Amino acid sequence: MIEKELIRKVLSAMLSGGGNFAEVYLQKSKNNTLKLEDSKIENAVSGFDLGCGLRVWKDNRTFYGYVNSIEPKLLLQSARELGRAAGLGKNPYPLQLSPKQFEPLEILDNFSLPGNNRKKNILLEVDEACRKYSKNIVQVSSYIADGQQETYIANSQGVFSQFFLQKVILSVNAIARKGKEVRTGHKSFAKTLGYEMFDLKKPKEIAEESAAIAINMLEARNAPTGQMPVVIGPAFGGVIFHEACGHGLEADAIVKDASVFKDMIGKKIASELITAIDDPALKGHWGSYSFDDEGYPAEETVLIKDGYLESYMNDLRSSDKLGGEPTGNGRRQSYRYMPYPRMSNTYIANGKSSSTEILSSVKKGIYAKEFAGGQVDPATGDFVFGISEGYMLENGEITYPIKGATLIGNGPQILKEIEMVGNDLDFAPGFCGKNGQSLANEVGQPTIKVSSITVGGTGN
Amino acid sequence: MSENLNDIITYTLNHLKSRGLDEYEVFGTASHDNEIEVYQQDIESLSVSKSKGIGIRVLRHQSVGYAYTSNLSPEHILECIKRAISNAKVTHKDKFNYLPVRKDYLYQQKPIDLELLYDPCFYDYSIEDKIKAAKTLEAITQAEDKRIIGISNSSYRDSAVEVVLANSNGFLDSYKKSWCYLYVNAISRQGDDTSTGDYFSTGKHLGEINLEDIARQAAKRSTSLLGGRKIKSVKADILLDPLVAAQFLNLIAEALTADSVQKGKSLFKDKIGKKLFSLDIDIYDDGIMASGLASAPFDGEGVFKGKTKVFDKGILKTYLYNTYTARKDNTKSTGNASRNSYRSVPSVGINNFYLEPKKLNFSQILSETGSGFYVMDIIGLHSGANAVTGDISVGAKGLWLEEGSMAYPVKEVTIATDFLSLLKSIKRVGNKLYFIPSSGFIGSPALLVDKIMISGT
Repeated sequence: MIEKELIRKVLSAMLSGGGNFAEVYLQKSKNNTLKLEDSKIENAVSGFDLGCGLRVWKDNRTFYGYVNSIEPKLLLQSARELGRAAGLGKNPYPLQLSPKQFEPLEILDNFSLPGNNRKKNILLEVDEACRKYSKNIVQVSSYIADGQQETYIANSQGVFSQFFLQKVILSVNAIARKGKEVRTGHKSFAKTLGYEMFDLKKPKEIAEESAAIAINMLEARNAPTGQMPVVIGPAFGGVIFHEACGHGLEADAIVKDASVFKDMIGKKIASELITAIDDPALKGHWGSYSFDDEGYPAEETVLIKDGYLESYMNDLRSSDKLGGEPTGNGRRQSYRYMPYPRMSNTYIANGKSSSTEILSSVKKGIYAKEFAGGQVDPATGDFVFGISEGYMLENGEITYPIKGATLIGNGPQILKEIEMVGNDLDFAPGFCGKNGQSLANEVGQPTIKVSSITVGGTGN
Repeated sequence: MSENLNDIITYTLNHLKSRGLDEYEVFGTASHDNEIEVYQQDIESLSVSKSKGIGIRVLRHQSVGYAYTSNLSPEHILECIKRAISNAKVTHKDKFNYLPVRKDYLYQQKPIDLELLYDPCFYDYSIEDKIKAAKTLEAITQAEDKRIIGISNSSYRDSAVEVVLANSNGFLDSYKKSWCYLYVNAISRQGDDTSTGDYFSTGKHLGEINLEDIARQAAKRSTSLLGGRKIKSVKADILLDPLVAAQFLNLIAEALTADSVQKGKSLFKDKIGKKLFSLDIDIYDDGIMASGLASAPFDGEGVFKGKTKVFDKGILKTYLYNTYTARKDNTKSTGNASRNSYRSVPSVGINNFYLEPKKLNFSQILSETGSGFYVMDIIGLHSGANAVTGDISVGAKGLWLEEGSMAYPVKEVTIATDFLSLLKSIKRVGNKLYFIPSSGFIGSPALLVDKIMISGT
């Protein structure tokens, strides 16, 4: 995409003001989205993006800029401007001349990228499958999107990394109506792969799962109110760990003393049943990559082992400040953004109980199967999650679906109150927002049981 | 290729001419953005960017195709045109698919004074001034209260953008806009308890911002919730802080777009002419409000932006329309075609949307509340409130009120209701509007709501 000699010049220009680290992040990307609603292809959008992000550190300060160009003249001009902004120091920091060599990690083999007609047919198939599932399905909105990204990263410490990413997502929203009751169901299927991902699961199955949630919830009664045991379902249930604990383990929060997990490495922070892992190197998963957005190779990081805190997730900046190695978690949405420590595919590892054992252990509580998402304040660990598919549990049996339920609690506290961990680990894709950047993330977990969480409903 | 946005758009229009299209439109933006974050009185990060791009919408046989590019070399623009046209082959055919016609654009004079959108003063402030503002904000917030142990974020952001829109029906116009935003988040501690509180302010340039006010509000929001406790589940009156009320109002606004109504996704379907509030409440969507961050002379399709009365004395009068949805309902566009950037297809969106204040000042509304829950912050709105089904269940923190005064802080509870009940239950309205930047620019006074379920222990 670009000459190495130009990169060297750009990096030197950025350090001319006395900065001690410089980085060039070049990116070229393409994406296509088809959207269906009212059983029609409503729009088809393609995008081409090209840009270069430049980053300089001068001691504790970060200077960042980007341009929609990789034209040498403009790059050098921006690099010089940024170099000047970075300070008045007289001694340029030397460039490291021996490049760091990383083994490229293969997460993507051959992939297939069809034309618009195949994508249109997938969406029509989804629409048909949802509506066939029940006559109570009154609306289906669905989109299919694919993106290809070529990224080139070089920094003054000698990192030269180049990688390619290919992702596809199919998202399905079904709306069911019966009399006055309206319920929604959502499922998405997304991979760091091409369209061959539909060999793993058919669009029809995803459509039916989404329709089933909306239909099941039509019969829902008001959720109960108060503290009670909660069983959290596998796959997307992992969003609770992601929000309530994962964000507090991203090391920028530690550096800024804005995390409840500061100074807790080596300490017991969770039930001994809990082992939690972040792993961007899982093949084909939605949150996977071969290199992170600072050019460091993706690797597995054990966050919590048998209840003890082992590691935070670092980017270059936080590992520099906390004294450790980057963990391959420096991510950004595109060349428009600075990198931050971010999760990739984050999951709670399998335990020993079966899901039946777990469900039947509850006398009175709820089973939270799917979530609409959630939010957390990393400084306090306080979280809230909306349940999109939930059921009442009475004497070990699922009795009826519940609506309008929210879970509210405190992350570190909940971690200690996990009583049972299932053996049915599964994953689900999603998007995670932080500092105004949205990234592809995957969450995972087996069925788990928490002894007590506050459930906010309108019933008794 | 010239660096000038007008030239790029002219080039693109010229190359669209000979492609056998029914209609076409080019939308372009060029922007300058700054973002500064300070930490412990030093620059944590400073970001300066220049961004430019175009979005091309084409119509052929009543089907629409869209493509955009930030790569503005002639060959990429041609590639982008090609993709837009091929995308139009796969979308559905619809008789309402055509661009606004000439009479939709005709207005005698600019509907809004362009100086209200863009103040040349914007460029009087140097990067040093902006850094200083963020540092000052951090320092004075920290100094507000001994219990504030740190500032997790003190930042300044601004943007100056030029917007150009042109289409094959002869529309060609542009405008400039500038805005800046200051934000601070204070962490406070007392004993074992940690609390956070944030506040912000927006303006056309730095000179319009009152740093002391942001600092005071953030500090108050952070420290007043220290020592918060759960309460027993109870049904009680709740007083919504204006910034919380505005977040609920934003969801209501989204459900009022004609697009969600026509697709059967809105709880306001078939509710035109019905009285949905118990009180005589007026709600406006105003695209040309003088101090509105969402103001502009024309919308995302070139249609004149105006002021729409959405609720009149509690009665729903109209939905919000762009050109396509208006034709479908056999009415006129309300100037609500929105475009977040050149990267997105125009959709129906919100301008400056606000609930008209009434007479009660804050202390009057407190004494009217008597005992109840003053909600100062909510979390989980996007997962806990569903505008399709109407369900609301969100996490809340704030202060418990007894006889109109603050008794103790409350945290880790949820409030639950549904949208239509919420509208019906509003029984008092404050006298001062506060706006939040969101999918539009949303404003609300404080609202007192009758009996809502609060879930605690």
